[in-house]
Amino acid sequence: MLMDRYNIWQKIGIYAAILVFLTFILLPFVEMFRTSLSPMSHLFHSPYEFWTTEFSFQAYHDMWIKVPLLGRYILNSIYVATMVTVLTMIFVIPAAYAYARLEFPFKSISLGAFLAVNMFTGAVLLIPLYRVMQTLSLLNTYWSMIIPGVAFLIPTGIWLLRGYLEKIPRELEEAAFVDGASRIYTLRRVVLPLAVPGLIVVGVSVFIGAYAQQYLFAITFNQVREYQPLAAGLFEFIGYQSVEWNQMMAAALTGILPVIIVFLFLQKYLVAGLTAGAVKE
Amino acid sequence: MATLNLQNITKSFGASQVLKGIDLAIKDKEFVVFVGPSGCGKSTLLRIVAGLEEATSGAIVIEGTDVSALAPVDRGISMVFQSYALYPHLTVFENIAFPLRVQKLPETEVKSKVAKAAEILQLTEKLQLKPGQLSGGQRQRVAIGRSIVRNPKIFLFDEPLSNLDAALRGDMRVELSQLHRDLAATMIYVTHDQVEAMTMAHRIVVLNAGKVEQFGTPMELYHHPATRFVATFIGQPNMNLVPAKVLGYDTRGLAVELDGGAQLTLPVDGAAAKKGDRIEVGMRPENIHLGQGLSMKVRVLERLGGTSITYGHMDNGQRFCAALPGDADVAEGQTVDLSINPADCHVFDASGAVLRRLMAPALAA
Repeated sequence: MLMDRYNIWQKIGIYAAILVFLTFILLPFVEMFRTSLSPMSHLFHSPYEFWTTEFSFQAYHDMWIKVPLLGRYILNSIYVATMVTVLTMIFVIPAAYAYARLEFPFKSISLGAFLAVNMFTGAVLLIPLYRVMQTLSLLNTYWSMIIPGVAFLIPTGIWLLRGYLEKIPRELEEAAFVDGASRIYTLRRVVLPLAVPGLIVVGVSVFIGAYAQQYLFAITFNQVREYQPLAAGLFEFIGYQSVEWNQMMAAALTGILPVIIVFLFLQKYLVAGLTAGAVKE
Repeated sequence: MATLNLQNITKSFGASQVLKGIDLAIKDKEFVVFVGPSGCGKSTLLRIVAGLEEATSGAIVIEGTDVSALAPVDRGISMVFQSYALYPHLTVFENIAFPLRVQKLPETEVKSKVAKAAEILQLTEKLQLKPGQLSGGQRQRVAIGRSIVRNPKIFLFDEPLSNLDAALRGDMRVELSQLHRDLAATMIYVTHDQVEAMTMAHRIVVLNAGKVEQFGTPMELYHHPATRFVATFIGQPNMNLVPAKVLGYDTRGLAVELDGGAQLTLPVDGAAAKKGDRIEVGMRPENIHLGQGLSMKVRVLERLGGTSITYGHMDNGQRFCAALPGDADVAEGQTVDLSINPADCHVFDASGAVLRRLMAPALAA
């Protein structure tokens, strides 16, 4: 399109801005990676040296020995995040559909309340949540990390998915209704298949949210080593004498690898989903 | 198949009343078109018949049974939507089969019914395609296929041709008329296009501002419009309305003087008119020919080949339009002398109601 044509200076400006932005976002990862490759002796070298000939993947090997449960922690992270995602979607899909299509009292107020809940971080609710977990005898179980995770992610999920479902033409549902289909049948056979890109967007964002937030719930509600997710398990690299920074960074990078891989596969849906319905097709 | 009676249907959205008491009796196997300008309530009325909207008051009676409280599928109706409302993720086969899947019919029955519908609509070759791979006309046929597959008593069409281009629309009009004959079903069709209404309908319901202006055959509407609204809505180009004054009434008809001076005696039932009453004389452009009595200055001339349509105004500034023969010797900027057969004139009183024409064509009986 003509309007997508930029002159050379505009292009330089755009790429310069992208460069600044990406540097800002990616530099911590570069530093993590560099640290994970460096031997411990090198890390505290003064003056600071960015490059060395001593880079090796030794830390990626040693970390499994230093923290024998590391693999378990990574699996725990994925398990908790997956469970949170599945449960959240089970609640979010009917709720979002109801908000997108049905009329009921206090609809917009309750929708606003969901948004308001998001303003409280998990941290301010930790003590009441601890009491709840205690009362329900859920402390020191996977559920103590899963249930609060689900609770905090439902509101955003509803908002995201509702926006998507509203874009599905109402006439499709009316046509199904005229042909005798119930709401549930229509949801299953017409609405959800058409909402797949939206479901992927919501699912991925819930998964990432669950992955990121589980640390807080893990260190508060769970004392059992075997149930800890990666973020909590990384503490084991902090010894009495020294901190194995290189192994910790290697473990952190290994732990987020699954998420990055999922992201790469689904990113075309993410971009399409977040901008869906923005223009008439 | 089925009769449909609407009894005093009203519909309000909040404070605004969009349907103000609709009474209609539609006969079995009839093809009825609801026509009217946008916002007249025609789509709302159709949706009420379909069961997609609830009427504020009134009853919908199909084959003698009040169906007002029933779900669409239990009313025995099916509907074709303006956007076709095809399911983009399903094949043509599954789109047509959808109502049967809802009914959980056995696979063999589904197959044979879909095959039959596909054959009627010439879609047999396309059954495995997705709607996105079809042309507009084919998508339209799939939507119709979905509506015929479960054998409804009444078919409802909501402006089904408005998304098609002009040439295809003409073809689909013929196909729909053909389909109506083949299925021998009651059909109700909503459109804002008077050509669709005139060509396909047995009877037309003209709606305006939530009320039925007239319900009659196309030729009744054309020759005996009940109101000024119907007269100007039906017919292309629109009827000219020339303000006039009543001079008197006798056995020959109503003597009037047009604003601008011309005097005519019109064969209409003017018993109720009094001398000096203000009226409007309706003259269809196609009834006007070159002659004497009326004069018009031509502003725009459209030569369509068979006819030449002139737009302009009369001496007193009254806007006027005439459809003259294709080879008529007129030019833009020129003043032409015209005339009209008094029997072709329509007369409307101050309220917009018609004075019945006494010498109308036999076709309109």
